[in-house]
Amino acid sequence: MEKLYGYTGKIARINLTDKSVTEIPTSNYVPKYLGGRGVCNKIFWDEVGPEVGAFDPENKIIYMTGPTTATGIPTGGRSVMTGISPNNLPEQYSWSGIGGWFGAEVKFAGYDGFIIEGKAAEPTYLYIEDGDIQFLSAKNLWGKLVHDTQNKLEEIHGRDVNSIVIGPAGENLMRNASITTSNDNVAAKSGFGAVFGSKNLKAITAKGTGAVVPASAEKVLELRRRMANPLMDHKPLVVEPGHSIGPANFAEAKGGFKKAYVACSHGCNQHCNMLMLDMKSAFKDEKVNHVEKCVSVFAFGFEEDVPYGGPGDTFVTEKNHTLACKMIPREGGPPDESDEHFGEMFNFQRGDKLDFWKPDFDKGSVINDLCNEYGVDKWDVIVWLLPWLSMGKKEGVFDEIDLGMEIDVESEEFVKYLLDMIVYRKGYYGNLLAEGMARAIRTLGKEKFGDTIYQGRYSQVTGDRLDLPISLETAWGHCVHWQGRGFEASMEKPAWVATNLHQMNSTRDTQTIAHHHDYFKNYVELKDDPCRSPLTAQAVIMGENKAEIKDSVTCCDWQSPDLFWMDMEAQMFEAATGFKTTEAELNEAAERSKLLFRAIIIRNYGRDRNMEVNAIFPIMTYPDPWGQTVTWKEWNDLVDIYYHERGWDKETGWPTRAVYERFGLGFVADELEKIGKLPAN
Amino acid sequence: MNNNLNNESENGLGRHVIQYPDDISFCAGCSACEIVCGLVHEGVSSPSVKRIFLERGEKQSLQHAVLTCQHCDDHPCYEKCPKQDLAMCIDEKGIVYINQDECIGCGLCAKACKFEPSRINFNKKTEKTKRKAYKCDLCRTRENGPACIEYCQVKCIGLSDWPMPEKA
Repeated sequence: MEKLYGYTGKIARINLTDKSVTEIPTSNYVPKYLGGRGVCNKIFWDEVGPEVGAFDPENKIIYMTGPTTATGIPTGGRSVMTGISPNNLPEQYSWSGIGGWFGAEVKFAGYDGFIIEGKAAEPTYLYIEDGDIQFLSAKNLWGKLVHDTQNKLEEIHGRDVNSIVIGPAGENLMRNASITTSNDNVAAKSGFGAVFGSKNLKAITAKGTGAVVPASAEKVLELRRRMANPLMDHKPLVVEPGHSIGPANFAEAKGGFKKAYVACSHGCNQHCNMLMLDMKSAFKDEKVNHVEKCVSVFAFGFEEDVPYGGPGDTFVTEKNHTLACKMIPREGGPPDESDEHFGEMFNFQRGDKLDFWKPDFDKGSVINDLCNEYGVDKWDVIVWLLPWLSMGKKEGVFDEIDLGMEIDVESEEFVKYLLDMIVYRKGYYGNLLAEGMARAIRTLGKEKFGDTIYQGRYSQVTGDRLDLPISLETAWGHCVHWQGRGFEASMEKPAWVATNLHQMNSTRDTQTIAHHHDYFKNYVELKDDPCRSPLTAQAVIMGENKAEIKDSVTCCDWQSPDLFWMDMEAQMFEAATGFKTTEAELNEAAERSKLLFRAIIIRNYGRDRNMEVNAIFPIMTYPDPWGQTVTWKEWNDLVDIYYHERGWDKETGWPTRAVYERFGLGFVADELEKIGKLPAN
Repeated sequence: MNNNLNNESENGLGRHVIQYPDDISFCAGCSACEIVCGLVHEGVSSPSVKRIFLERGEKQSLQHAVLTCQHCDDHPCYEKCPKQDLAMCIDEKGIVYINQDECIGCGLCAKACKFEPSRINFNKKTEKTKRKAYKCDLCRTRENGPACIEYCQVKCIGLSDWPMPEKA
């Protein structure tokens, strides 16, 4: 076999049922499917058909690094896993990205990734060391919290191992359970922690001494100097008086709290994660450190939504296009006022007044610690479960519900009681809520427990009271994320129609890997009627393809895409692998990956236009901060344009044979034709 | 940065890479120092060839220590090398370095290191005939000096004879 640069050359197939390991050459899949999610999609298409449920032994967790992982190319430390998600409604094929040091360690141990299949007879963890994979008993780990598990694995195997683990939430099949690295990075959104639990798999621990060889070390170093303009200056630990996004949310920390910035993954040249030191723990008297990136800040206080900066938050110019990784460490600086569009781009407004809960620094820390230690998706807790209880209680929805303790999201004791009840499936409601918000609300009755209107939302742009349902649900069993209402709602219609379109085509929240970006010159063209402009659909397609690239090459959503350095990812791929690659060629591979994903959800779950339009539309009938919604006609016009731009059939939403063949997927078209899932033309 | 200074000092330690206190710069834990070390020396990224060591704190702390060769004046690693001046050498500036081509992988230098853990990377798991020791040479032939310092994104490391940066 010709030497592969960037990759290690092997993927392990790990069968938990019979404790067997076989190896597959990575070259079976690359460079055609790049790595990461592209390879996962191909494996899943080949190996998992319809009728498999998330907790069936036939479900597989396909974990892949990218060719940049462990090479030193910034953000390449991220990796991805796919499988059938228990947290999606309905259960569907999904993915989850993760940072940390685990991906690099797996490559140093000799593997580009692994396919986990079957189910262990008893609690098990996998130990991977330099080409050897062992199935070890997890009897002494089962029941442990996330950090205790990480620490125990270090005790057993040494300080230099890197592990991904689940907590009690995953063990108890809580549908939004996460998988956590040693630095609190998580694969959370798809609930794959519960799939680990269903397979009796507590952890995977890796240790490697091998080498990863990039094709060009010189180019790797160049990328380290250039990507996202690294700070290259001192960044000290500081003491802050408190914490919030939005002035009304400010939670004072008595005596201040210590704050530093850290990288999320091996080899990154940024430090966009905030480290909060000596924080209150939910479980012990001693203080603990937390890593925070995005949603955690709202645990500390949620009186109002994030502020709105103006269209420039989404639509950028060359002078004003700060990458997200500069945002949390506040290294982006103020907008460049010499920009000719400055006045139109930036128009600061406060976010919606929501009054979910008052600022409380220690309680915020406890909420985050509960999620970290139990291994639960913070989004579902901070954006969905707790706001639902807050809003629902104010509207009298829970008057007849007895959780065993008075519902009070302002109370630290209640939050601890609540999470304990759900994670350990205690009683009727614990068991019900462990099924995830979307399923629980349907069991309780969606009309009352989901769609009741909260009367406490006020726009701070217009001053008007605006409707908001007590359940912040959007498509596929996920909660809102940069979708114009509910949470991170502070974006105008030209932006939120795009983010909703992103999610419509997927099976989960997409805004962790496809934050929407477009050029300001396009905003000027599309802003008056974004649903009838091909520019909206084109920007979504660009964003979707970049998301495939990010999860395949691999690189981070917070550095990619840079709209003024569009071949950055191609340069990363080429530096790692040596395969000469243009931006257009990489985009072609992204289209192929997206098509495979589309084909899987068409074949396995009957995805079509009717299903996806109806899944996403309801959330957009509630007003944005300016009172804007979208009509059924508007939305369908946009979907028409999007399908047309993709080359998919407008009636069904299915790609045509010509499109599959154009991207080297004729075999996919053949299979879909056999089951009647290929459009006539 | 340059490597033109003499690598000798009066406190028994030579010029070496140091980690600054947290209130000057907090290590981001990115591993760039370890990675670029391997990239500039061998063109690879590997735990087995790094000559600088990011010792991660307890899993939840994310407070890391950067461990480096102290370039001791009495250089016991050099003294113990059975191929002194061929494998373990001292250059004209006093920097003790390993000539990788001549290293026979006996591991005596790593064992002789005064520090715990040893600041010489020696992987006993490597096949015996391929074993080599890897020791910081301050990137002695590199125009920009130590690559770990050059590529540290938060400049939490520097050289021991540099003036201590001012606190923010």
